Amino acid sequence: MALLNERDTVDNGLYGAVGEFEDEDRLFDAIERVRHKGYSKLEAYTPFALHGLDEALGSKPSKLGWFVLCCGTLGATAAATFIWWSGAIDYPIVVGGKPLFAFTFSIPIMFELMILFSAFGSLYGMLGINRLPRFYHPIFNYTNSERITDDSFVLAIESEDPQFDADECVRVLEEAGARYAEVVAK
Amino acid sequence: MTTTASAFDVSPELKRDLQRVFTPALGAGILLSIASIVGAIYSPGDFFHSYLMGYLFWLGLTLGCMGILMLQYLTAGAWGIMTRRTLESASRTLPLCALLFIPVAIGMPWLYDWAHPDLVKNIYVLRHRAVYMNPSMYIGRAVLYFVVWGIVMYFLNKWSLEQDEKGGMEKRLAKLSAPGLLIYVFTISYATIDWAESLENNWFSTIWGFLFVAREGLAAFAFVIIVMALLSRREPLASRFKPAHLHDLGKLLLVFVMLWAYFEFSQLVVIWSGNLTDEIPWYLHRFATSWGWLGVMLIVLEFIVPFLMLLSRPLKRNATALCCVVGLIIFMRWVDLMWIVMPQYYQRGFRLTWMNIVVPASIGCLWIAVFVWQLQKRPLLPLLAPNLEKALEHGE
Amino acid sequence: MADLASVIREECNPPMLSRDMSYHDITDQISSVTEWKKTPKQWWILITITSSLLLLLLAMLTYLVSTGIGVWGNNSPAGWAWDITNFVWWIGIGHAGTLISAILFLLRQKWRTAINRAAEAMTIFAVACAAIFPLFHTGRPWRAVYWLFPIPNTYLHMWQNYRSPLEWDVFAVSTYGTVSILFWYTGLIPDLATLRDRSPNGLRKVMYGIFSLGWRGSSTHWKHYEKAYMILAGISTPLVLSVHTIVSFDFAVSVIPGWHTTVFPPYFVGGAIFSGFAMVMTLLLLSRWALHLENIITMRHLEVMNKVILATSMIVGYSYGTEFFIAWYSGDIYERFHFFNRITGPYWWAWWTMCICNVVIPQFFWVKKMRRNIAVMFIISITTNIGMWFERFVIIVLSLHRDFLPSSWGYFRPTWVDVCTYLGTFGLFLTLYLLFVKFLPMIAIGEVKSTLSAQNHVEHVYAHYLETYEGAETKETHGLA
Repeated sequence: MALLNERDTVDNGLYGAVGEFEDEDRLFDAIERVRHKGYSKLEAYTPFALHGLDEALGSKPSKLGWFVLCCGTLGATAAATFIWWSGAIDYPIVVGGKPLFAFTFSIPIMFELMILFSAFGSLYGMLGINRLPRFYHPIFNYTNSERITDDSFVLAIESEDPQFDADECVRVLEEAGARYAEVVAK
Repeated sequence: MTTTASAFDVSPELKRDLQRVFTPALGAGILLSIASIVGAIYSPGDFFHSYLMGYLFWLGLTLGCMGILMLQYLTAGAWGIMTRRTLESASRTLPLCALLFIPVAIGMPWLYDWAHPDLVKNIYVLRHRAVYMNPSMYIGRAVLYFVVWGIVMYFLNKWSLEQDEKGGMEKRLAKLSAPGLLIYVFTISYATIDWAESLENNWFSTIWGFLFVAREGLAAFAFVIIVMALLSRREPLASRFKPAHLHDLGKLLLVFVMLWAYFEFSQLVVIWSGNLTDEIPWYLHRFATSWGWLGVMLIVLEFIVPFLMLLSRPLKRNATALCCVVGLIIFMRWVDLMWIVMPQYYQRGFRLTWMNIVVPASIGCLWIAVFVWQLQKRPLLPLLAPNLEKALEHGE
Repeated sequence: MADLASVIREECNPPMLSRDMSYHDITDQISSVTEWKKTPKQWWILITITSSLLLLLLAMLTYLVSTGIGVWGNNSPAGWAWDITNFVWWIGIGHAGTLISAILFLLRQKWRTAINRAAEAMTIFAVACAAIFPLFHTGRPWRAVYWLFPIPNTYLHMWQNYRSPLEWDVFAVSTYGTVSILFWYTGLIPDLATLRDRSPNGLRKVMYGIFSLGWRGSSTHWKHYEKAYMILAGISTPLVLSVHTIVSFDFAVSVIPGWHTTVFPPYFVGGAIFSGFAMVMTLLLLSRWALHLENIITMRHLEVMNKVILATSMIVGYSYGTEFFIAWYSGDIYERFHFFNRITGPYWWAWWTMCICNVVIPQFFWVKKMRRNIAVMFIISITTNIGMWFERFVIIVLSLHRDFLPSSWGYFRPTWVDVCTYLGTFGLFLTLYLLFVKFLPMIAIGEVKSTLSAQNHVEHVYAHYLETYEGAETKETHGLA
């Protein structure tokens, strides 16, 4: 229970209505129909990233890029500052007649640290925004949940939706072409 | 077939616009050329250095476009289909460039130490390389390069036209482009060793060829973006050239900016660290005098600023904003060539004379006139290119 | 009209994957390799051989540390020899993995999906092999941590020299190793979830469950995941270039003839891609044959790779030529002597081997038949790696063995420890590769599915066109008529 995210706790004890579709075209089709009926709290589960799915679901593009940009800048700045401080201030010694500090010789390490920090930023940033690792999620209660990572395309109408009504939603999903639909508990 | 063919033809409005560019460009080109000739009589040294600088700039656009034209046949991306006709038109300015090489050949004694027999006798390195670097070999090689480029350019354009008529030439064009690109890199390298690297006696850099390929590629790509942005205001491209296409071009421009900066940095760091007496003077002339400010400008305005701006996605999808960045890059290309060619002549420091501007501009006006004239000759999209549909769909 | 459309379809979109595959087939085929009921005998035979080689490596390193680096053949004037040759060679091989993954991803080249996972794994293992050499060249690797990284300590009382390219290299290689692992792992997360969902309850499920971090394939997940993956690909591309550039700076930033030349950065990068693609090719052909992956790693993939091998062979060929020309053009007697010495000196055989393997043999790939011939491409992938090893040997040993003064001329000979250490790194590399094949999906399941999806989409579009044209030829449409 400790792993349960508080955000998802709604009194009816349901995650939502979940419908399964044969392929991506049917999924897109269903999303359009379900959204047309006025449902807004939708989540799709797919075995691979589908181009245009976010637009279809009406979700905003990821802001991860900005976070990574900050990380990269931090990395490059940290490298330059440290090279300058350690070489020209803390331990100044002339080697090979070269100046104590110059960008000519700092750029390679600045670049490397920029990349290193950005890489950590993008993986950890992605996991952070997605709230992973998280080993329990209601969708795993769905009967065919193990097929999501194989070949089934799933659309969920979440119980937080203002229009949510379990039986009605199952019917809507079936009408929209689901080969199977059910109500999933938390 | 005929009905759709005309759909991609230059529309009457566009034709009128292009005529409005063509006539003034040609007129200005002739007037400025006369002014340049007056300047040549008055100060040949200034004239020939300015001329070489301008010539390398405009020839760079021609050859850069030809290189990119071959590259797009090999990569077969949507961006290539959309820009193909612009690239082809630019490559067809090659005969003009060949003609305009004549003043460079005449200017040899003003430009190069190795063209002076007395200097060659006294300077070891010039004597050593005199078998290769002498006026007749120089001209002979130039003729050879132009013939080779001419052949490649001729078939690229001929087969593309045949493709419009009966289709099925794409594979043949790709087959030409593979060795074509190889020949292109090889010839550009040796041509620019002749024309630019040999300006300074003690200067040799093995990356010079790649560096010039990147310089020309960058300038040409920037130029293509401006042309595409302007053409897309009118039919036939107004309804077909979409932000998605512009976005792709913007991304590729970013790649060229990084590639160019990478080559420049590689050369700088190797020479700077080695600090050898027979290599470092080239950089001393360009960084230890007031020319150094131009060098700093290059780093900031041709790399840092465009790089940061081109990271933005909305900017790459907005024609006006992208053209501002592209304009900056084109201007900096001109500054870069000035920084490469001029310090050898004005060794005391930065100098700008009227000829530094007028002479390159005179070549430029003629070049643009020919380009605009060539642009009207063919439909603005390759009719039967196999990926055309996909390329157009990419914009949706 | 219909004919034309179908011709065009074939010309621009020959299918990457067999048309009758389903998503489930893909999952099944790729995952099944990791789910062998009984691990095949061949795998056990191979891992026995490779782990013996790995033991050889451990023995050699133990011998080296307990005796001193004099057990290698390096000696004045050739202070760097096989060790650094092997280091550069392995690093170069690693680069292809990242490039296949990152650059081809950015260029939306769908054919990469068949090979990118294996190639990324190869990168990580190659970097591990490479790192061994400079690390053990220090003689005392456990102390070298303080010499290499700026860790405050009371033992040295000084900081690293950041003017030295060797210090740049420390940062480049360690960053490269780290980012490669992150990139690889990011790509694995969704596939690990697939394996988790297929596994019966038990240790396998728990392990895959832990490492897939609770991935559930929701659209929100994918959205941020795609962004992260794109950024990682975007930063990996310049990273690869920077790493081999910095490796080339190890040489070029000095003033030694044969090393001090400005073309080194792009030339080294080109060479790295060249040898790396060749190594990927060798491994791919073997895995394809052993695991029957012919319908996923198709002839078209192989042909495209051969084209890249040909192109990069041209880059190194161009660089060899330009170096010679500029050495002559510069008039510098040391430069001229050095390059003369390359062809005619005591190591002439190394130079000629390099030239024939790297520049002459790959020319066969101009012919389409050769590019599609398995035996030919297998042989060329091997000769390329031999050639690229000799290239590094030529650059390192030939530049050092004849110093500026003839009194400090010498001749480097490898010792048996040199040879065995090098062989041993193959043991490390192949053992890790075999473990990877056994426990992880060697092909990116999710990405192959999205390739299939795109392919189906294109098929639909063309089917639609065919119908349209058969129905109404005169109907005016935009674009393709």
